[in-house]
Amino acid sequence: MSTLTSTKPAITMERTFTASVDDVWDLWTTKDGIEAWWGPGGFRVEVSRIELWAGGALEYAMIACEPDTIAFMKQAGMPTASPCRATYTEVTPKRRLAYAHLTDFIPGMTPYQVAHRIELFPTGEQVRMVLTFDPMHDDVWTQRQSMGWASELDKLERLIETRRA
Amino acid sequence: MHVDVLQTLADPTRFRIVEVLRGGERAVNDLVEQVAIHQSGVSRHLRILTEAGFVQVRPDGPKRLYSLRPEPFRELDAWITQYRRLWEARLDRFAEELDRRQHARKRKETEP
Repeated sequence: MSTLTSTKPAITMERTFTASVDDVWDLWTTKDGIEAWWGPGGFRVEVSRIELWAGGALEYAMIACEPDTIAFMKQAGMPTASPCRATYTEVTPKRRLAYAHLTDFIPGMTPYQVAHRIELFPTGEQVRMVLTFDPMHDDVWTQRQSMGWASELDKLERLIETRRA
Repeated sequence: MHVDVLQTLADPTRFRIVEVLRGGERAVNDLVEQVAIHQSGVSRHLRILTEAGFVQVRPDGPKRLYSLRPEPFRELDAWITQYRRLWEARLDRFAEELDRRQHARKRKETEP
């Protein structure tokens, strides 16, 4: 159980491949690369747009392609193909890629903006790949902004209290 | 998974309050001291945390003691487990595709 020991729900995963960093980068950033593995199981994706710069979009369709996933989607009253969209937030070729994705496909999960970061560390014949997922990222941003406002209100409140005293 | 669970914890002050409460029950005064913000702020965040089901309160003489409830953390845990599983499977396919590409290239290189 990870969350009772750590309440911050950021997820980190790491893999090391014996491969060239060019191949690893291509799998993340090209149409045929992404379509080769993105899935998830029982689904295939068709990428329609890749704008590989900060602020650019990644758009693809997630298509149920196996009998049981097709049946599952139909039973849930969902279309067997659904459009998905992510926005790149950082693109540093062959080193770092970050994007915000409105939900990844998990049945029953409420759509939610999740920040993803991929870091590549090539050494010799190998590439270490570190993935970080932070489901709270965007909110922390907006909340920080509103916190600034809240602390102004706190100050005002204190000022009023001091005047009353 | 309720979006509320993530949104509630996204606030850094509430996150700190939850971190402190992980050490056990606390009265408001203790929280004010440990989180280092004004009492009105702590009270406001405690109200939000209570409404979102993160925190429960019980009277203890003149004091009110706040503690964590396990339910939203279980939800969070389930969400993380699902997300991790999805990506484990994805990364397996990622590794397979990477292998396939390397082998294809090697074959090409050794062909006359």
